[in-house]
Amino acid sequence: MPEVLKAPLVVEFPFTRSLGPVQSAFLTGLRERVVLGVRTGDGRTLVPPVEYDPVTAEEIRDLVEVAPTGTVTTWAWNHAPRRDQPLDTPFAWVLVRLDGADTALLHALDAPGPDAVHTGMRVRIRWAEERTGAITDIACFEPYTGGQAELTGRTGGFEDPVTGIVAPARLDYTYSPGRAQTAYINALAEQRNVGERCPSCRKVYVPPRGACPTCGVATLEQVEVGPHGTVTTFCIVNIKAKNLDIEVPYVYAHIALDGAGLALHGRIGGIPYDEVRMGLRVEPVWTAGARYPDHYRPTGEPDADYDTYRELL
Amino acid sequence: MSKEPVAVVGIGQTKHVAARRDVSIAGLVREAARRALDDAELTWADVDAVVIGKAPDFFEGVMMPELYLADALGAVGKPMLRVHTAGSVGGSTALVAAGMVAARVHGTVLTLAFEKQSESNAMWGLSLPIPFQQPLLAGAGGFFAPHVRAYMRRSGAPDTIGSLVAYKDRRNALKNPYAHLHEHDITLEKVQASPMLWDPIRYSETCPSSDGACAMILTDRAGAARAPRPPAWMLGGAMRSEPTLFAGKDAVSPQAGKDCAADVYRQAGIADPRRDIDAVEMYVPFSWYEPMWLENLGFAAEGEGWKLTEAGVTELDGDLPVNMSGGVLSANPIGASGMIRFAEAALQVRGQAGEHQVDGARRALGHAYGGGSQFFSMWLVGSEPPDA
Repeated sequence: MPEVLKAPLVVEFPFTRSLGPVQSAFLTGLRERVVLGVRTGDGRTLVPPVEYDPVTAEEIRDLVEVAPTGTVTTWAWNHAPRRDQPLDTPFAWVLVRLDGADTALLHALDAPGPDAVHTGMRVRIRWAEERTGAITDIACFEPYTGGQAELTGRTGGFEDPVTGIVAPARLDYTYSPGRAQTAYINALAEQRNVGERCPSCRKVYVPPRGACPTCGVATLEQVEVGPHGTVTTFCIVNIKAKNLDIEVPYVYAHIALDGAGLALHGRIGGIPYDEVRMGLRVEPVWTAGARYPDHYRPTGEPDADYDTYRELL
Repeated sequence: MSKEPVAVVGIGQTKHVAARRDVSIAGLVREAARRALDDAELTWADVDAVVIGKAPDFFEGVMMPELYLADALGAVGKPMLRVHTAGSVGGSTALVAAGMVAARVHGTVLTLAFEKQSESNAMWGLSLPIPFQQPLLAGAGGFFAPHVRAYMRRSGAPDTIGSLVAYKDRRNALKNPYAHLHEHDITLEKVQASPMLWDPIRYSETCPSSDGACAMILTDRAGAARAPRPPAWMLGGAMRSEPTLFAGKDAVSPQAGKDCAADVYRQAGIADPRRDIDAVEMYVPFSWYEPMWLENLGFAAEGEGWKLTEAGVTELDGDLPVNMSGGVLSANPIGASGMIRFAEAALQVRGQAGEHQVDGARRALGHAYGGGSQFFSMWLVGSEPPDA
């Protein structure tokens, strides 16, 4: 069996987040070197603050200042920092209960090694030089010997509050199309469309997926289909998609290759977009070195009769 | 032992808008949940369990909303779970919650669905750059437009039907204070003159991108007896799924949708949906899906759905009003859209729909679908409890 294909797939998006009143005050406070918590119904101070009381579910808005100094409640050593982590040298992830708070905040502790870190150790905030109203305004924590630092006396009313943040998300996958699609993709590179027939319903899947979703059985028998096919239906795309290098308008069509049990999707060219019709007979147009047909063009055959493809709609 | 009857005693929605920059996601869901509790005159302590649904994770960048939102929804110390079935999720979330009440696992359940589309990009979420595949698609409209063309060919519908639906739904939305789009100067000519995006779908025949949440309080007979306002009673509910693409799929009228509707009608004792159902809230993100679903749901024979639309049967004052609220075409916080259909159906039979109330509505259908016509969820609600 040939090796299955693999390729990196990076999914990355800068999600935005509206903060609401409590997170807005918290992050704006960090910009001003003020750490705010919120008081709950039972008199505890939560840092970082939340909008709703975890016990009573009531809305809570009573913001109070806590100190930039605190105590490590637990920790884990990070031997190999990854991109976008707070420090680029090995550091400790710490939960820090700031002086005046009842809950602990997760952050990084800059320490020379794990031997220099222990639960109960005193730490203080090292502020970032440039602060924007984000959790990274705390550059990290650093070891500290001393009592509670002084408060600023501020609990809000900041000028120009931060109301939103950008929360970039990134996932690094290794994508594999699997055994069946690898065979299909490799055949496509030789300009052949090879599907797989279901041993039960006898329908041919192009692209194949290794199993028939209707019958629930594996498909192994390879069947070459096409190269000609019929446009079963289509739309004319008039809006240009970001990151997609296709001039509009173009025709996005469902094409049932001769012998296939369902239509695949492709672009129609070689004919004015407004002359494309259901039943149009087409063939693939290949470009050198491409993994798939660039588009499909009319073959010049008479249009297919509706009854020949109506079951494929 | 028979199932416990399920009643809807509280409904809450946010005003759906393009962007709710004033609230966090927690603040958004809280608003809908609070309104549902107020409607039912209940407190957080009266809720036994919480079931939430939202859009696909890539749409929103929130992977475990049930963790993040427990405080905001008063779920601490209670069972809380999350349901996920793409665009139909609002409907299936409500059905999971209803199942808990029907099974007598919980007496009163808060169910809620939401989306903040402004903080993400659904078109991006639908167009991930899968290796070895040719990039072709241009969003959901590009996916569904060929199916609309296939419907037009199969039914022989005139190409103006889509614009009639959009014109109706946008006018209905003017009577719904929670709808996103309030196009006071809408005319049929404007709909028909709007740009063709994915021919045969025009701009005005597509749904907006919205921020919003919807919540319901579901309860048992004892809870319904204490309710301050008339409850809506669930008479039937079902979900079905099928693959997005398979040999033999009918993309115009999927078998899973037909089977789902048939199951609901059987449970509710509906012999003739066209006669026995007074109003429908169906998931119509592109206007042509109204005639398509009218057929799929059994309100018209195959190829005949557009005739109901054309004859005005689905207008607010028609014989079978469809999407009295303005529908998905007038507000589409995707994750919430299915639950809004379910909730609006319940509002109708409770007589609480305000200006878009259908006089004397006794039985209403709520419908949702998602994925590539892959998931279906529906419920039928009535003003009277089910027969014992």
